[in-house]
Amino acid sequence: MSFWEAVRLAFDAVRANRLRSALTMLGTVVAVVAIVAVVSITQGLNRYVSQQLLEVGSHVFTIDKFGDATDMASYYAAMRRRDLRREDAEYLRAALPSAEAVVPSLYRSADVAWGGREAKDVSIIGIGEGYALLDDSYRVTSGRELGEEELRGGTRSVLLGSEVAEELFGPVDPVGRAVRLGGQSYWVAGVLAARGRVLGQSQDNRAILPITAFEKQWGRRRSVTINIRAATPELYETCQEEAATLLKIRRGLQPWEEPDFGVQTAEAFYEVYQRTTRLFYLGIIVVVALSLVVGGIVMMNIMLVAVTERTREIGVRKAVGARRRDITLQFLVEACTLSGAGAAIGLALGAVVSVLVGRVSPLPTRLEPWSILLSLGLALAIGVIAGSYPAARAARLLPVTALSYEK
Amino acid sequence: MALIHLEGVAKTYAAGRARVEALKPLNLMIDDGEYVAIMGPSGSGKSTLMNIIGCLDTPTAGRYRLAGSDVSVLDDDRLSAVRNAEIGYVFQTFNLLPRSDALRNVELPLVYAGLGARDRRARAERALAEVGLADRAHHRPPELSGGERQRVAIARALVTDPRLLLADEPTGNLDSQTGAEIMMLIERIWTAGRTVVLVTHEEEIAARARRVLRLRDGHVVSDARRPAESAPRETGR
Repeated sequence: MSFWEAVRLAFDAVRANRLRSALTMLGTVVAVVAIVAVVSITQGLNRYVSQQLLEVGSHVFTIDKFGDATDMASYYAAMRRRDLRREDAEYLRAALPSAEAVVPSLYRSADVAWGGREAKDVSIIGIGEGYALLDDSYRVTSGRELGEEELRGGTRSVLLGSEVAEELFGPVDPVGRAVRLGGQSYWVAGVLAARGRVLGQSQDNRAILPITAFEKQWGRRRSVTINIRAATPELYETCQEEAATLLKIRRGLQPWEEPDFGVQTAEAFYEVYQRTTRLFYLGIIVVVALSLVVGGIVMMNIMLVAVTERTREIGVRKAVGARRRDITLQFLVEACTLSGAGAAIGLALGAVVSVLVGRVSPLPTRLEPWSILLSLGLALAIGVIAGSYPAARAARLLPVTALSYEK
Repeated sequence: MALIHLEGVAKTYAAGRARVEALKPLNLMIDDGEYVAIMGPSGSGKSTLMNIIGCLDTPTAGRYRLAGSDVSVLDDDRLSAVRNAEIGYVFQTFNLLPRSDALRNVELPLVYAGLGARDRRARAERALAEVGLADRAHHRPPELSGGERQRVAIARALVTDPRLLLADEPTGNLDSQTGAEIMMLIERIWTAGRTVVLVTHEEEIAARARRVLRLRDGHVVSDARRPAESAPRETGR
């Protein structure tokens, strides 16, 4: 019997038991939807995160006390390190020719108020000279930027994030007005360009003020973050190494000693992101694998039922000349047809889920060709694995036994 | 020449601890072109004998030569090939595939003979025409009468042009009028040169055969030939 003959028989058999076939396929459908949708969404998430991280921060890196401490123990260890100071940034600025900008910054959150309105938990960033050279996220749309004098002298001027400006002032132009920020009053110098949202988190709920003013208000007993932009993309790595070496010397460390600070790049952060999400993917793979196993068991069970039900048919086929391999092929192809059809339906549903998620969320979901191949391959594997035992049982039936089988 | 040659063929079943001798050792020769009826009460071993002759079952002892070659030593797949090429079956319960139309049912042996779709179709249509069912080719068994179903089964038995036609109670599920028609069809096939062996418990039907074997308790108790108008050939015994 030819392969196509077997495919034809399989379709006949699947059609003859529509409800049962549909239920049998369900396991494969669920597993394939899970594979296709989950891969599409997680890959979308990865692409999104890498876009956000790697585009914005192109050849900008930061140095701080904590580095990429991801667990409590290394965080506590890092807490005992010496603070980084504004003067360290000034030293690096003077000593680092491969850098275009070296800018210290401090961070905290505080409420900002104006005229009886209040914006809660605004990200307050104290920033140093040269900040405008770091990247274009400090561009102002109205008013002016912070001048060098202000940055050095601790003038209480502030740039408001677009969301804070909108929340406090509405239609009123904030430029030149005084807001209350942590109990002090600050002059609004300008309003920053909107940056939108990342994973639903607003990037415009912020206020930028001179780092000197920040220190005056909240004290100097905190470690600064040093933001460095390399002069050119080619110098990006050189600049990181030079900055680390210089800082080690300044902090009295030998070249072979571990640095007591962390150099953080968007790339390194992205790696941390990938490392932490890998476990999550692994979990999903386990769940999908389980659903495949369950689907396979259901399918084997149904194929055993099918073989029993069609014992007489098998007897007739063998009586008129079917060999074992003909019968094996027939039932194997039938199992693969079931799982293959399940995979096709699963692919279609998975594609729909992927497109829907792409529409309603910021994630750039996309059907991954490898996930389609993977699910088709797995579906065929289920068919073969779940079908082979029942098929072998059918093939081994003796014609005389099969023909005298009573339902 | 002997088409069927059984030497000391026996069949024993293990039924729990007991051993059931369904067929005691027997010798039997059936020549090419004979028309043989096998009779006997149920449990006499006539179905077992039929199944062994039809290569649907294998003997537990003895040797069976079909058309000169020893088939008692063949494995399952080779027996399939022998059944496909040499033997056509007609069963009491027709044993058609209910979801396939008459044409597909008749084509079935040719599928396993490895014929291409076009040849299959042509030969199956010819076989259906031979049994007078050319116009029912696309009806499924449930849409056909009992007589028509048995005709489809006969067409299926003939489509590979086998030398041996085995019929197991071919009229058992039919009314006497239809049964007579089916017997006429089977006899026409015999007249055309094939060997026919049929199992029946109806004397009337057995009486039409040229040779009647009677079995009881696994033994052949009589083997009678009827001298006939159409010259019966001598067997080698």
